[in-house]
Amino acid sequence: MTATPDTPAKGPRGWITGRGAWITFLLVPPLVVMTLFVIYPIVSALAYAFYDWNGLRREGFVGFENFRIILFEEPFASTTWQAFKHNIIVFASLMIVQNGVGFILAYCLWRDLWGARFHRVAVFLPVVLSTVIIGYLWKLFFHPIFGVVNQSLKAVGLDSLVQPWLGQSETALAALIFVNAWAWVGFPTLVFLAGLQRIPSELIDAARMETDSEWHLIRKIVWPLIAPSTTVVFILLFIGSFNWFELPYIMAGLDGSPFGSTDVLGLFFYRTAFGNQSAGVQDFGLGSALAVIMFLFIAIVATFWTLHLRKKELDL
Amino acid sequence: MAKLSLKGIRKQFGNTEVLRGIDLEIGDRELVVFVGPSGCGKSTLLRLIAGLDPTSGGTFTIDGREMTHVPPSKRGIAMVFQSYALYPHMSVRENMTFGVKLMGLPADEIEARINEAAAMLRLEPLLDRKPRELSGGQRQRVAIGRALVRKPDVFLLDEPLSNLDAALRSDVRLEIAKLHEEIGGTMIYVTHDQVEAMTLATRIVVMNGGAVEQVGTPRELFETPRNTFVATFIGSPRMTLVKATRSGDSFEIAGSGAVTLPGAPDSGAEVTLGLRPDALTVTPDGEGYAADFVYSEYLGNDAYVYARLGDGTLVSARVDPASDKQVTGGKIRVAPRADALHFFDPDSGLRL
Ligand SMILES: Nc1ncnc2c1ncn2[C@@H]1O[C@H](COP(=O)(O)OP(=O)(O)O)[C@@H](O)[C@H]1O
Ligand SMILES: [Mg+2]
Repeated sequence: MTATPDTPAKGPRGWITGRGAWITFLLVPPLVVMTLFVIYPIVSALAYAFYDWNGLRREGFVGFENFRIILFEEPFASTTWQAFKHNIIVFASLMIVQNGVGFILAYCLWRDLWGARFHRVAVFLPVVLSTVIIGYLWKLFFHPIFGVVNQSLKAVGLDSLVQPWLGQSETALAALIFVNAWAWVGFPTLVFLAGLQRIPSELIDAARMETDSEWHLIRKIVWPLIAPSTTVVFILLFIGSFNWFELPYIMAGLDGSPFGSTDVLGLFFYRTAFGNQSAGVQDFGLGSALAVIMFLFIAIVATFWTLHLRKKELDL
Repeated sequence: MAKLSLKGIRKQFGNTEVLRGIDLEIGDRELVVFVGPSGCGKSTLLRLIAGLDPTSGGTFTIDGREMTHVPPSKRGIAMVFQSYALYPHMSVRENMTFGVKLMGLPADEIEARINEAAAMLRLEPLLDRKPRELSGGQRQRVAIGRALVRKPDVFLLDEPLSNLDAALRSDVRLEIAKLHEEIGGTMIYVTHDQVEAMTLATRIVVMNGGAVEQVGTPRELFETPRNTFVATFIGSPRMTLVKATRSGDSFEIAGSGAVTLPGAPDSGAEVTLGLRPDALTVTPDGEGYAADFVYSEYLGNDAYVYARLGDGTLVSARVDPASDKQVTGGKIRVAPRADALHFFDPDSGLRL
């Protein structure tokens, strides 16, 4: 700067200061909000997890004691691991059913099979419905006596299959998984369809000149080419499956009834942190420890998985 | 061995008739070029032959075998697409092996074919690259290589040069001609560029508006075009059509006077004359149609004079480039050579 000292600082430096002010002005409010509502709760949950709690009153610092109890001490440990196992089942089943059906639907829509325009809307419709409504609706559908599911089975003569879907341990979780897939199948469908529509048609023609097997076409050409869209679908399903809460809460209640057969980590966290009428126990420290474990598990797996999938995409 | 026979091939998209009854016989080892203006149905016809789209009518056979229900991969046909359509996630080698692997060939046979094709198309250093790491010309060669390794009876190429820059175009054109000679398969080549068609084809199929206008060797099409469409489409610069009134052997063009053209074919009083630049000589005065000089074009080997006839038609005449400077303006005369003229019926456009 060679400006004389008695002229007020205009020029580039004054401009940069003004720009800096603007950037600060624009960045600070969202940062404050984010800190207040996202970072602070996460950090404090992390902190809570290291204290002993009596109801909502904080007592002494206990180190990793809460983590040890929730993971390895009865009666908590077996519930934790059982819930975790259910989350894994939910994730694996949805991976196959929800994403699988999503892909098949997307493929049919892409190939313009039967009434594609109608189905494009129909498939995505449940996604915009609230989970509360969906859960309530399907709870009615699954009603052992009046529900449409059993009524329909009877109507087509499959009386032997009539059963209390949500009321027995063998079918309750599967029923919930089915409802989740029904509600959410539109999302992978849409993402896959977008991926499919990006494939140049001459590429498919070129492949059809070399093979008449639809299976080869899908496995060797179509699937690799839509890999980029699978990343987001897989990761979001993973996160959703391990944070699964609303649907089991609405359809099976806080205890994961019947007999804990639909219990998942989200429900167990809620019960330990905030208690429930039946159990009456409430331990904020244990709840926080569980939340921290869930958060770390999801964050770490999702991060590494994303990195892995992205690397494969780059290979394309 | 591959003889293709198309009889009354039709294609409709909804209510639009895109191909209106195509009859065509293509012999073994021919290099046939489909040429015609954009949108005339060349690609559509090629896709029907490939089996990528179903026909709406007619029969199509290869070596006598009806093809309607034979899937594209079983027709013994390989196709090179305008966009090359290489599989982006596969290396050059994988692009070339994908199809032959599915044909169930033994590994050493596949390897031998890859090496042969790679040598022919100079692809060896590129075999492990991905398509995105290749230039346009290299992608084109890979696309041809991928077709080659399948050893098809019939090659289809849809405007294979249109995505290449002008300098590369004539090289690749030459390579394709050489390739046809070496492998000796039947080749169908689609282009909208008549120069490409003339230089490559053993036979040209001129298409227009979903129908075949004429089939013939480049020479036949140039020398005896069946109608005014073929006459004006083939040859560069274009043939000019001009209306003339006949009395005996004398042909009068409105505003340009009459010229005697002995040996003209029989016709009514109204005739359409087809004038190629070669058929006209320019003289400052004397015999010929009166015209106004418009401009001249000097191209090194060639030179053309453009002039406007009395009825407003612009004609071009080839002149000796060395004497190009002689005519520079004003009134001139263009004299047609009777043996190099084309005569068409003004109503039907057919050759007389
Ligand atoms: N899938 C299709 N649906 C409707 N019309 C089509 C389709 N494909 C081609 N056409 C029409 O058919 C005509 C011929 O197309 P095409 O064969 O691609 O011409 P070209 O001779 O330029 O290759 C065009 O008018 C085009 O609009
Ligand atoms: Mg075309």
